[in-house]
Amino acid sequence: MGRVIAITGKGGTGKTAITAMFLRSLLKRDDKCIILAIDADPDANLADTLGDKVEITVGDIRENLQESMASLPPDYDKKQYFAAKVFEVLLEKDGYDMLVMGRSEGSGCYCYLNSLLKGIMYETMDDYDLTIVDTPAGLEHLSRKTITGLESLIVVSDESRRGLKTAETIRQLADELDLEYENLYVIVNKVHEQSRDQVLNTADGLDLKVIGMVPYDENIARLDLVGDPLIGLPDDSPAVVEVENIIKEIGLGG
Amino acid sequence: MAEEFPFEMSPMYEGERIRKDDMWVELGGPNADGFELCVSAEMDELEDGRVTILGPDLNELEEGASVPFGMIYKVAGELIEKDLEGIIERRNHALFAFIQGQMHLNQRYDIWCRISKDMKKKGVESFEPIFRGVMTLYKAELPFIEKMETVVVTDPDKVKEELAKAMESYTWRDDRAKGMHDDDVDVFYGCTMCQSFAPTSACCVTPDRPSLCGAINWFDGRAAAKVDPEGPQFPIEKSGLIDAITGEYESINAMAEKRSGGEYTRMALYTFFDAPHTSCGCFETIGFYLPEVDGIGVVDRDHKGVTPNGLPFSTMAGQAGGGKQVIGFLGIGILYYLSSKFLQADGGWRRIVWMPKALKERVKEGIPDEMFDMIATEEDAEEVADLKKFLLKVDHPVVDGVVRTVDDKKITEGWTVEDPSEFEDEVIGYIEETGGDLDVDEIKEKLLMSEGQFMQVVEYLQDEGILE
Repeated sequence: MGRVIAITGKGGTGKTAITAMFLRSLLKRDDKCIILAIDADPDANLADTLGDKVEITVGDIRENLQESMASLPPDYDKKQYFAAKVFEVLLEKDGYDMLVMGRSEGSGCYCYLNSLLKGIMYETMDDYDLTIVDTPAGLEHLSRKTITGLESLIVVSDESRRGLKTAETIRQLADELDLEYENLYVIVNKVHEQSRDQVLNTADGLDLKVIGMVPYDENIARLDLVGDPLIGLPDDSPAVVEVENIIKEIGLGG
Repeated sequence: MAEEFPFEMSPMYEGERIRKDDMWVELGGPNADGFELCVSAEMDELEDGRVTILGPDLNELEEGASVPFGMIYKVAGELIEKDLEGIIERRNHALFAFIQGQMHLNQRYDIWCRISKDMKKKGVESFEPIFRGVMTLYKAELPFIEKMETVVVTDPDKVKEELAKAMESYTWRDDRAKGMHDDDVDVFYGCTMCQSFAPTSACCVTPDRPSLCGAINWFDGRAAAKVDPEGPQFPIEKSGLIDAITGEYESINAMAEKRSGGEYTRMALYTFFDAPHTSCGCFETIGFYLPEVDGIGVVDRDHKGVTPNGLPFSTMAGQAGGGKQVIGFLGIGILYYLSSKFLQADGGWRRIVWMPKALKERVKEGIPDEMFDMIATEEDAEEVADLKKFLLKVDHPVVDGVVRTVDDKKITEGWTVEDPSEFEDEVIGYIEETGGDLDVDEIKEKLLMSEGQFMQVVEYLQDEGILE
């Protein structure tokens, strides 16, 4: 199993943009690190941010399977069947693959399918050097152990005190869920130059380790405005430069 | 073994995925026909180790292409029989993938394989050594295969043609599997997957009785237990038969006691009443006993309204779920309705009195023709009084007593009145009104009584000297 990094944060903090910038930077490197990007947030759209189109999600497959299970041949191996379908929706791009988890469960019992999915996700992630997960603040797939082997949990926050308090809440949640991880870092996003000291003070008071402060970036705002993928950000864009620093700090991508 | 081939073969390569960038060719998969099939043959029909290729060979395929693909394994040996074809074929998933640089997903007509560019670099040019390798693995693992041949099909028309033939084999196998009963196997499977929220749930999965959640049939139990015998699905030896009709076995009782943490010591498979199966909470439908009619109603989770007992699915599920044995309620998986052992100890379908229309349609196949119109739906009855009227009208077996199919034993008495004196006025009134000219249908309609109940009251009145 390669390294697994999850990026989380409440809506509006820009966690998906940060995830996309992580991928953008890692893909520009020369090493042969094969990356799996998992969009585990039903409300976010990592694929879109990267310029990818995803029509069917893992959640859709689980739902189809739930409905069609009784009509499969009696001795059909459902795990194999499920695994092949998951492989089918895996988006194979240059240097990275992308898996979108999509919708959550409908009514009915998903014990069996989720236990199969757990195995399938483990085996899938096993094939990659690095897995980056964009996960909602509720840490859904991590709490259910669909996604395991977490090395670092990165919480994205805005510069407000309230934002950093949310980061603290997510840390508490992770502890309550008995999530196993080695590091918890905070990235403060859309930071104004004059706020930097205050942000660090607040974080210190909450015992949060800030690993980077991504400045507010006109380039991102412009791309977001028209819905263009962030993969097209210029190398000297201030946010990109800071994300490069963070990647170095965490020791990602060789 | 390895030096014979230009590639590595080992279990450690199983499950390896070949990414698009590393792919030489894709065989079958979402964009092309594909299938795998094992067929048994006579010893003298096969030339051991032969690989026949119908269509272009590996080095003739366009790099990066998705091609139609079929692989047919012919096997012979003294112990080989048609029943083993599916089991041998299933092993291809692992054995084909033991070759480094080969991916195998799915099964039958859904196969999806990839061969990596590394195989090309190693100098592999033909399917021939690949399948000689696979056959070597097969014979090492399954020594009862005495002779084996492979036919590789890549010609698109030929793939279609052979796939159509293969479909006949799959259908034959499915019919066999569907026709399999508890009496045909020596092992059942237990499942404790939902114990996290139903701690005393001890599911027993048999060919005639799939899991309550609908997710796991006997074959799934077998597959899972083989992969991880210590996991949530495990084998239960079928032994110590106590009662063939209720489906009580010593081994299942022992399993139930162990897995429920001592909460239950008995658990029978085909009954609603005495030591029934535990109900997890995941069940697709729930059965409920209606004492007023001495029958069983069933409701599925999609039916949102109340049932004749005044409760909706969710309330009953809440009461009976959690891995409990609650007499009067029973979680039931949809597939169990299609089983020939469906509640056989209690009269099976002859005991079922009410079910939502949608569920009835869904399990139609399992309902005996003569019972279909006798089971009320929400359109016929929403309350017990209406249900009584309906059951009287259709002459449902519960009215005069159920004779169960399995041994022709009469297991219920039919409806009786507890205290005949309560009906004294009604019955006398009716007799006076008709002048003694009795009409059974009218009695049912007007008095909501079966003929038996009416006569019971009449006899009481005669004994009391009220009637002559």
